[in-house]
Amino acid sequence: MLALLAATPALPLDEAGKYVAGAYVVFLALIVVYVAIMAAKLQRIERELRELAGFVETGANGDGQAAPEREEATSDV
Amino acid sequence: MYGKGLRPLSIATVAAIVASLSLVFFYAPLDADQGFIQKIFYLHVPLAIVALVGFVIGGVFAIAHLRSGNSRWDAYSYVSIHMSVIFGVAVLITGSIWAKASWGHWWVWDEPTLVSFLIVFLMYATYYPFRYAIEDRERQARYASVFAITAGAFVPLNFMAVRMAQSLVHPRVFATTNGGLPGSMMLTFLVSLLAIGLLWVTLVKFELTAKSASGQLKRLRRALDAPTPGGRSRVAPEVS
Repeated sequence: MLALLAATPALPLDEAGKYVAGAYVVFLALIVVYVAIMAAKLQRIERELRELAGFVETGANGDGQAAPEREEATSDV
Repeated sequence: MYGKGLRPLSIATVAAIVASLSLVFFYAPLDADQGFIQKIFYLHVPLAIVALVGFVIGGVFAIAHLRSGNSRWDAYSYVSIHMSVIFGVAVLITGSIWAKASWGHWWVWDEPTLVSFLIVFLMYATYYPFRYAIEDRERQARYASVFAITAGAFVPLNFMAVRMAQSLVHPRVFATTNGGLPGSMMLTFLVSLLAIGLLWVTLVKFELTAKSASGQLKRLRRALDAPTPGGRSRVAPEVS
């Protein structure tokens, strides 16, 4: 391993730059992919909640009761 | 409940990351031995530390789950491990890039630090199939907690074993004798560690919030006997 280290001195800036950029870009890409997946999940939750609010409103109207406000149903999200 | 304080935490995380990147690229001096490539150190090492600490935290939450039987601790444990596995992927990739730039190889099998981290990572990669192979929710949570505690205990043991291996490739730069990190580099490293730590906490909180919202939605759907997406309700009509 020491021989390997001795044979590989520090890279010049123009060559090292792409490796450093690569490492930071990979990290950023991972975070972006994770956030995108979580955003898709949150969108699904929001859609389901909207469907559920519509379901409650339809049921409440069918029973002759006043439908709850949409804002009230979603205010905790 | 989990979303409380998420906004200021996210702002603090972004501020810490910006400060960290500024210090890395505009303040910290170039390493005399490795040159510019050493900048990967400020990303790779904090990621590794936070991932390993995250695994241990997952084990601590698992202990709380087994002691109390409260499923909230199981969720904490699961999300901590999940986030640490994602950070572990980043550690392995950034480490490989650093190895290629410094040593000319993407992976070096006789370096204990690398191999031990890979072992820990692969061990935690089995957490998912292990957990989801069990259908009963209670048993799943209990067995997953036992796994998290056992594996969490292995992490510091593994760390100590590597320290005792006395590698020459990864010098112990945090030592107080025989030349540790100079002040400017240490400050940059600590700010980077804080930034990555905050990022881990923010993402854990973010995922817990999403899981909590999803769980509450399911409970609401059951309580209202509403149709599930793609499924049919026993009594209620389909919602278009």
